[in-house]
Amino acid sequence: MRLPGERDLIVMAGIAGFSMALVSMLSAASAPAARSDTRLAPRRNRSSQAQTVETARKLNRAAGMLAASVLADSSVEHYRGSFKNKAMYTPLLVSALTMATSLHGTADMRPFAHKARDATYLVAAATGLVGSGFHLYNVGKRVGGFSWQNLFYGAPLGAPMAILLSGLLGFCSERVREAGRTRPRIFGLPAGRAIAAVAGAGLLGTTGEAGLLHFRGAYHNPFMLLPVTLPPIGAALLLSAAGDRSGRTHCVARSWMRLLRAMGLAGVGFHAYGVSRNMGGWRNWSQNILSGPPIPAPPSFAGLALAGLAALGLMRAHPDA
Amino acid sequence: MMLQRVGAIAVSDDPLHVPRACDGRAPDVFRPGGWVQMRQYRENEPVDFAIVGTGAGGGTLACKLAEYGFSIVAFDAGPYFRPLEDFASDESEQTKLYWTDDRIVDGANPLQLGSNNSGKAVGGSTVHFAMVSLRFRPEWFKSRTMLGYGADWPLDWREMWDYYTEVEQALKISGPVTYPWGPPRPRYPYRAHPLNGAARALAKGCEALGIKWTETPLATLSAPRGLAHPCVYRGFCVTGCSTNAKQSALVTWIPRAIAAGAEIRDLAMVGRIEVEPSGLVSGVHYHRDGAWRFQRARNVVVAGYAIETPRLLLNSATPRFPDGLANSSGLVGKNLMAQSNQAVWGRLEHEVRSYKGPPSLAITEHWNYEDKGKDFFGGYSYMSQGPLPQLWANTLFSARGLWGDRLVEAMKDYNHVVGLKIVGEMLPQESNRVTLADEVDQYGLRIPRVTYSWCDNDKRLIDHSLKFMRRALEAVDATDTWIQDDDTCHLNGTARMGSDAHTSVVDVDCRSWDIPNLWICDGSVFPTVGGANPSLTIQAIACRTADRIRALARQGSMRRANILSMQRG
Ligand SMILES: Cc1cc2nc3c(=O)[nH]c(=O)nc-3n(C[C@H](O)[C@H](O)[C@H](O)COP(=O)(O)OP(=O)(O)OC[C@H]3O[C@@H](n4cnc5c(N)ncnc54)[C@H](O)[C@@H]3O)c2cc1C
Ligand code: SF4
Repeated sequence: MRLPGERDLIVMAGIAGFSMALVSMLSAASAPAARSDTRLAPRRNRSSQAQTVETARKLNRAAGMLAASVLADSSVEHYRGSFKNKAMYTPLLVSALTMATSLHGTADMRPFAHKARDATYLVAAATGLVGSGFHLYNVGKRVGGFSWQNLFYGAPLGAPMAILLSGLLGFCSERVREAGRTRPRIFGLPAGRAIAAVAGAGLLGTTGEAGLLHFRGAYHNPFMLLPVTLPPIGAALLLSAAGDRSGRTHCVARSWMRLLRAMGLAGVGFHAYGVSRNMGGWRNWSQNILSGPPIPAPPSFAGLALAGLAALGLMRAHPDA
Repeated sequence: MMLQRVGAIAVSDDPLHVPRACDGRAPDVFRPGGWVQMRQYRENEPVDFAIVGTGAGGGTLACKLAEYGFSIVAFDAGPYFRPLEDFASDESEQTKLYWTDDRIVDGANPLQLGSNNSGKAVGGSTVHFAMVSLRFRPEWFKSRTMLGYGADWPLDWREMWDYYTEVEQALKISGPVTYPWGPPRPRYPYRAHPLNGAARALAKGCEALGIKWTETPLATLSAPRGLAHPCVYRGFCVTGCSTNAKQSALVTWIPRAIAAGAEIRDLAMVGRIEVEPSGLVSGVHYHRDGAWRFQRARNVVVAGYAIETPRLLLNSATPRFPDGLANSSGLVGKNLMAQSNQAVWGRLEHEVRSYKGPPSLAITEHWNYEDKGKDFFGGYSYMSQGPLPQLWANTLFSARGLWGDRLVEAMKDYNHVVGLKIVGEMLPQESNRVTLADEVDQYGLRIPRVTYSWCDNDKRLIDHSLKFMRRALEAVDATDTWIQDDDTCHLNGTARMGSDAHTSVVDVDCRSWDIPNLWICDGSVFPTVGGANPSLTIQAIACRTADRIRALARQGSMRRANILSMQRG
């Protein structure tokens, strides 16, 4: 048997990291909030402060889910691109770091922002921006320029946005957390609304990416329509909640976010099935994971839905947030 | 030979020597070792249609007619392959797909027959074709009237446009989002494949010379379809596709035909069409399992491709039709048209690995649609190329005379080779023809003599294309460019359709002028070939023919059984 090379190890580590993170995020997401509340939350101002910390942790979780998705996705895709450019290692490192940071944040009950977390999230956001630039450059320089061919098969333009979103959500999380007893604000904007808007915009962008790639797959399976129809509705609900001052509880938006979270996770299964439909099926996994639909991509919808839920929760607790 | 146990009986599983489609079942091409139920017809009870050949023409027609409720038996001289199991990634092994029976070639430019132009298998030549699926330029259907050369087709391009759409849907053609030439067409059902190195070189060359290019519409899947896998880009296409990504007749029309009640008989060589005293045909004599047999039929469709179709018609001569069937015009076998397939090759500094993926991922039809600046009639397209290693070594030997150390040295550059090849229009000439030789083949049937010479127009077209492609390669900094000037591909003509019984063999519905229950439905019916690969047009014509047969049967307000006595529409 041939021993796995250095690159293969990196990718395997990426995938393992993704799975671990996914499992821990999910178990954190389903753990009852009340238990942790009573454990560590400071007594004073218990309800509002505990609420902001709780929201902040939810946002860490969302950021982590996105980072996990990026880690696994960029590992596989950049491995496929043979790491031709050294810069292609960057998203792996940054998303791994962001994921670790988010796990740390998810476990942290203290009502203070954390410098290292803040810094990591900012680096993640910057990486997303720079990565988008790289991908744009890659597509533009191919023969045919910004043609369907290159949008389909060149570096995916939308992909680096996921790590940007992860960074943004993480950054928001720290702002919410440090707000403590005051009204949480982000750059002077009410935090809940700002996060809802970011998550809504993120949903739209991610829909664009899924739409493009599912169009490349000619929507050969009707389920491929789900991620281009459900998320825009979710985005509309979030954006309208962000602009709504009536103090309503946004039940529909909340349920829709849960639906999107389920869709994002179910997407993993659908993509796994998609992989099986390539020549050799899962027996030929080492090739088909690369050529089939990207298994780690759909959870980015779940990550954004988690952020949406956190934002809606925050708005419920602080009607003016 | 492999022995396979099915239930208690051991059956031989050598598709080249023992028929597979028997005992009420046919191979399931999608499941290793699987079978599908197949209806079987008795030989002495006439079926509605006996179809000779199961390729682009015959396979499509068998499917459509069966789906319309006609009883069908389709014969193929070739084996019934299971692509998932029978196809090796080995060029020598896969020569089993070619029609390599004895034929005599002559003329000033004798055709090289076999791998590049004829298949022998259920599914016909589409089992090893290169999958390029192009529509004709509309004007070509009236090339005599509108462009001043060749002959007019009796078909209207607008009607063909709809049939093209039907075939593109049936084969889930992967093509560009918008096609840069010709009138609008509906979006291709599947998206284009990624370009390989060779295709990118074509694209860059076109951009440098200021002409349009596009991703080639291909009959291979860019996404899963049912049990067929998407393309894996290993590039063994012209030696048969072992993933079923290639949408050949074998994995598209034939399974549909069987599901609709058609019977396929593999390893069944039709040697003669029987003619009754009434002057109508009554069935076919065919050789299967070591014996000659006879299948009665109310109609016979010949779809053996442009050499075997005229050969069968000529071999079926009777005292009443001494020059062969459907030949009162004297045109059976005449106007054979190959397509020119010349190439310019070169070397790029960086690796190209042109053999990765389907061979022709990018195309330009510029010179099919642009008439200015030409000193010849007709058009040509050119495509990127990806020759497999053995073929490439052969090309280096036959076109450049390389052998020994020089060949080995040249083969070391295989990864850097880049090439462009045309599919060019050749004009119909009566002197290019299929006749019968006196020699006989393994079945005791007289073999075809294929006579072919290029006319001046053909040469001018080739010349133009070679100069242009050389510029295109030099524009991408290819070095050591050289010309391969003797190749041809695709065979058409020899039983042309027309609107006059004196100047054509079949009418617009592919029905022979002379015998109302004898039809011809394959590449033979083309009056001209254009500069586009023919299979999509052959299949579109077959779909149309099926619709016309159904309409004629209804119009005659008679039971299908009596279609043979239909009045001409
Ligand atoms: C290497 C190669 C690449 C090609 N690439 C392309 C391409 O990219 N695009 C494109 O459009 N076209 C391509 N073609 C051409 C295309 O495959 C043919 O034009 C098309 O298949 C012809 O259809 P047909 O029905 O006339 O004949 P075929 O598809 O050849 O079918 C004829 C069948 O009839 C059978 N037959 C013949 N005589 C008898 C008989 N007497 N009894 C029983 N059976 C008989 C044969 O065994 C054969 O299976 C390619 C061909 C080859 C060989
Ligand atoms: S490259 Fe694609 S179409 Fe060609 S043989 Fe391989 S899988 Fe089939």
